[in-house]
Amino acid sequence: MPNAALTLLNYLALLLMQLALAGIQTAALVFQFALGETPCPLCILQRVAMFGVSFGIIRNFRDGYSLKNDGISMIFALFLLIVATRQTLINIYPRPGHEYIGSAVLGLHMPVWAILIAMALLIGYAAKFAITGGDGNLTPLKKFPALARAGNALGLFIVLLAAVNFASVIVQCGLDACHTYEYRLLR
Amino acid sequence: MMTPIFALTFAALLLAWLGRGRIALGALLAMLALSIGLFLFEVHSRDYGFRMPWIQVSMPAAGGEG
Repeated sequence: MPNAALTLLNYLALLLMQLALAGIQTAALVFQFALGETPCPLCILQRVAMFGVSFGIIRNFRDGYSLKNDGISMIFALFLLIVATRQTLINIYPRPGHEYIGSAVLGLHMPVWAILIAMALLIGYAAKFAITGGDGNLTPLKKFPALARAGNALGLFIVLLAAVNFASVIVQCGLDACHTYEYRLLR
Repeated sequence: MMTPIFALTFAALLLAWLGRGRIALGALLAMLALSIGLFLFEVHSRDYGFRMPWIQVSMPAAGGEG
């Protein structure tokens, strides 16, 4: 039976996840452009994975809630976990050409944070399913117009972040492999 | 390969935001396939393959301690 309180909780959880992802992607760009830390290829792939999680949330706010969209987000959260774990294992034993690059935040570097982010997302989805019990219990989003507006505005911000990343990747990588020591088109 | 991946990512997100779900999903799946390929390319080593010998450890010789 549709439940307005569960619907509100469901969309608030999605909004919170999208807000966290937008904050992380913005912080990554600040580190890149304000602090001059050129991202590594696997770091950029982790951004791609986070955009994939955002994709599912955007569709939930745009086209109405569906478990399919949450499934898409969870696939990308899992991809984020795999990429970040592998990168952490590559860099865990520092040796020439293989060590954590960039600033540490609270003592942890980007791939380690990405593991925590992926785990938090997966735990968040699991908790959301456990509490709301699936899409059969939810009412349409149009009953919460302010929440819908906030979700769509945040979705547009994510699209803009993707556009900035797209331009940045063109300059850094061109049509070839990416390197951390140069922006290929600024040589 | 990263540039086409981000072109698809941007296209998927923009189309999803514009409500063009089916095309957006197509772009997203293509992006995921390319991303998995690039990930495997990035972590593969000519010397080690997909192994990570630097994190392998060996047990001390039996009877060495205690």
